[in-house]
Amino acid sequence: MFTGNPAGRFVVLFCSVFWFGLAHSADEVRVGALYPLSGQVAKSGEDTVNAIRLAVDIINNKYPDLGVPFAATEGLPALGNAKITLLIADHQGSPETGAAEAERLIVQQKAVALIGAFHSSVAATSSQVAERMGVPYISGESEASTLTERGFKWFFRTTPSSRTQARDFFTFLRELNKGSKDQVRTIAVVHENTLWGQEFAKSVEGYLPEFSDFKLVADISYQQGTADVTSEVQRLIAAKPDVVFHASYDAEAILFARTYKQYKFSPRGVMAIGAAFGSSAFRQALGPDANFYLIREHWSRDLASKNRVVAQVAKLYRDRFGKDMDGTPARAFSAMMTLADAINRAGSADPKKIRDALAATNLAPDKLIMPWTGIRFDQTGQNDLTRGIFVQTLDGAPRMVWPFDQAAAKLVWPRPAGR
Amino acid sequence: MAALLGILLVLPMALSDRPFELRMMVVIFLYAMLGHGWNILGGYAGQISVGHGLFFGLGAYTSTMLSLKLGLNPWFGMAAGGAAAAAAGVLVGIPCFRLKGHYFVIATLVVAESAFQLFAAWDWVGGAMGLQLPVQEQGLLNLQFHRNKVPYYYIALGMLAAVTALVWWLERSRFGYILRALRDDEEAARSLGFSPALYKLLAMALSAGIVGVGGVFFAQYVLFIDPFSVLALSFSVVIALIPILGGAGTVAGPMLGAIVLVPISEYSRVLFSGTGRNVDLLIYGFLIMLISVYRPDGLAGLFRARRERRAYVSG
Amino acid sequence: MSGDLLVQLLLSGIGMGFIFALIAIGLTLIYGVMNVVNFAHGEFLMLSMYASYLAFATWGADPIVTLPFVAALMFVFGLLVYYLLVRRVMQGSMNSQIFATFGLMVFLQAAAQFIMGADYFAVRGGLLSGVLEVGSLILPAPQLAAVVGASTATGVLYWLVFRTATGRSLRAASQDRQAASTLGINVDRMYALAWGIGAACVGIAGSLLSNFYPVFPRVGAIFVLIAYVAVALGGFGSIHGALVAGVIIGLLQVLAGFFISSQLKFVPVYLLYLIVVLVRPRGLFGRL
Repeated sequence: MFTGNPAGRFVVLFCSVFWFGLAHSADEVRVGALYPLSGQVAKSGEDTVNAIRLAVDIINNKYPDLGVPFAATEGLPALGNAKITLLIADHQGSPETGAAEAERLIVQQKAVALIGAFHSSVAATSSQVAERMGVPYISGESEASTLTERGFKWFFRTTPSSRTQARDFFTFLRELNKGSKDQVRTIAVVHENTLWGQEFAKSVEGYLPEFSDFKLVADISYQQGTADVTSEVQRLIAAKPDVVFHASYDAEAILFARTYKQYKFSPRGVMAIGAAFGSSAFRQALGPDANFYLIREHWSRDLASKNRVVAQVAKLYRDRFGKDMDGTPARAFSAMMTLADAINRAGSADPKKIRDALAATNLAPDKLIMPWTGIRFDQTGQNDLTRGIFVQTLDGAPRMVWPFDQAAAKLVWPRPAGR
Repeated sequence: MAALLGILLVLPMALSDRPFELRMMVVIFLYAMLGHGWNILGGYAGQISVGHGLFFGLGAYTSTMLSLKLGLNPWFGMAAGGAAAAAAGVLVGIPCFRLKGHYFVIATLVVAESAFQLFAAWDWVGGAMGLQLPVQEQGLLNLQFHRNKVPYYYIALGMLAAVTALVWWLERSRFGYILRALRDDEEAARSLGFSPALYKLLAMALSAGIVGVGGVFFAQYVLFIDPFSVLALSFSVVIALIPILGGAGTVAGPMLGAIVLVPISEYSRVLFSGTGRNVDLLIYGFLIMLISVYRPDGLAGLFRARRERRAYVSG
Repeated sequence: MSGDLLVQLLLSGIGMGFIFALIAIGLTLIYGVMNVVNFAHGEFLMLSMYASYLAFATWGADPIVTLPFVAALMFVFGLLVYYLLVRRVMQGSMNSQIFATFGLMVFLQAAAQFIMGADYFAVRGGLLSGVLEVGSLILPAPQLAAVVGASTATGVLYWLVFRTATGRSLRAASQDRQAASTLGINVDRMYALAWGIGAACVGIAGSLLSNFYPVFPRVGAIFVLIAYVAVALGGFGSIHGALVAGVIIGLLQVLAGFFISSQLKFVPVYLLYLIVVLVRPRGLFGRL
């Protein structure tokens, strides 16, 4: 048998290196944030957490010129200017780790609310822990439709689900077809094969009976992290769709765009869910070829023309983190602000009171940096006041082109060939 | 030994308000058990597999599907999951045991990766969306515990103890002796009248079966599985790394490996990952290199060397 | 389907195949000389892609211009890895070598993220970013360059291994370490050389790849599995085996992706590997 003593010493050693929870005073509110900070989507996780850091900084410190709630004061006024302490945990994209971290944040770090988790699979398991422990959980960017279909009492989501977003693709095309000679009829869906891409493709298929004026001519599911997309592009060329719907992460977005160009695949439009086709990495990688991609976004700098706060927050983000804000950080920022609003209205750091305040949330559009008509949660905990926009990269900058009546720039359609 | 077991038996009381450490102990037990499973094939029989995630995933998927589609009890699922994994091990082993060295390593790699991709594309088992086990009344019968996770601790500890005893017995048995003979000199073993194919398949079945049972436990613990968390190649590599770190072909190896590797990875993640700069993995990778350089035969060698030295001194 | 499309598919597949082959050649060389599989090979690729990108971003130097420098840099890096790490685990078993290079892989990936962040970077408008059109067929320039690069690399390696004195020593060291030592060959130096050349090969691959693939900390993982399979399929240690296997894999994945399923396009590749090694347990051209 193995020598018990040295091994025993190991156990004792590692069990004694316990995690000492920080001593914390009453004038702070501890919020746990669960995000992927290593692994495949570390970059998106980093951008998202940065937005939450910015939101907390605005809440905790004085920003007299800024038009967002809690900017003018230090801390949360209804809690005696208590400050929010952000506890950031890395779940590495693993549902098991996410659940474990949620439990650690709640029990050992005394978090009174959780925010997360980017990956829908991690949001699913970690919010289950929160539900069981009676701690409110808010998600600003986990999009799987199923998350709000579980009958949870403690789960709230400010972002629209991917199913809701998929609908905008069809609405957009229908409006585009109205009164146009150049009708869009055929669609191809290209998506990566993780939860996010698969759910998007399923949602698109689900809308086809309702939007029967469109026909799906190709459904291409590719492996996330693929080395080569030649065969995918050749299938698209063979299927000749009018429009391509895309659900891809950054690396493959760049690879697809380059391969489209190489093989001169030029549909009338490429419409993408998620920020990849409009990200700064994408624009930097493709230069002028990044133009004319359409991205179903949640947020755009162009919203600043109606709402000056948008420009202020975007500038703060840019100055602090050296890159442009896009839809996902903007949504995380809004989720954090929503949570802060609820904690303030609860007037207490008691999870139950925060939960009830969240359920009663009713934020007006002028308090937000989003194009939404407000934030209000329905019975399932889903914000039912979201609205989507489409942005198109024009002259290297993302411009808001839809809804047509609020467009900041005119849509270029169809995409000029050879681009 | 008894003292250690005693400590482990009462440890949950000390961890009552420390779910993180409690869960870490569960992970250590589970990984040590998976390491034992790998060790039977990789350590004793000398067949290095970097595809054991396949058996873990098969176990998890088998019990979960049986529960979702047929409403079968998870204990039955555990038996079925272990059996399915063992059967898969034999199926993989029959052709692959004809391969030697790195050809075998790569074969296990591609089989596991193919399974990962097939499961991610296969709608009937949830595809990339994975499978959620319905929350049932907690208790030993349903193998689900919600508020208090301590029962998982004891179940994992019990499984580890059982598997450790099995490997301990195996090491001393004729079967274990034949496996080591095969590893060290296959031709010699063959000339002594042992069929290499048969014994390797037996080792594979046992190895895969143990890992499969571990997969079932994991599914019941997390209540959610998807290809990325139970079939990913990176997980296969971890299953192999743990016994290699601890010392392949020793009873203590998998346990030592898990006791060292899991806390390093967990604490460095918790302490450093908030920076978003991957400092945790930087440390983790560096330590692995350090151990490989200074303890090329695993940590178990550390104790053996000391024991031998002690024996030498006292003798 | 038209004949043109089929020809286009075949050409694209072969072109990608040469890229896979170029990555695999360095791996097989190291294995051939010293029976070690470098699990950090993908991270070597990642480092050379970062080197190409950084030269481009800093000095506007085209990856094709900096290619020799990146290869030289990677040569030195290969030597370093050998002397600092691999040499120290050579007395151990195959296990400890797997373990050491796995640790290196995790470390390099983390180091890349530590220094460069998790962002995606890409070379834009390099000399090799265009395409060559022949009638209605399209041949992307990076793939053409890979055809040239992989063929040249194979040729040069063959010349080096089979026609030079160094090559004789390399072969001697790979066949019988003890005998080579008694013949006065510095085996240690031969091993280091194999790591240097192997890393330089993957440096060339990274330079070419940076023309169309973005670089990020985990980019190596995307290509390395393919490289392992190419090396094993071609036969461990066989340079032309890696070349042929790379091309076969490139072709098969394009055809499978087009005719069968995109997300499962590598499953036929894996199946082919299993079938081949069951018939020929040493791969297409390997030795046992």
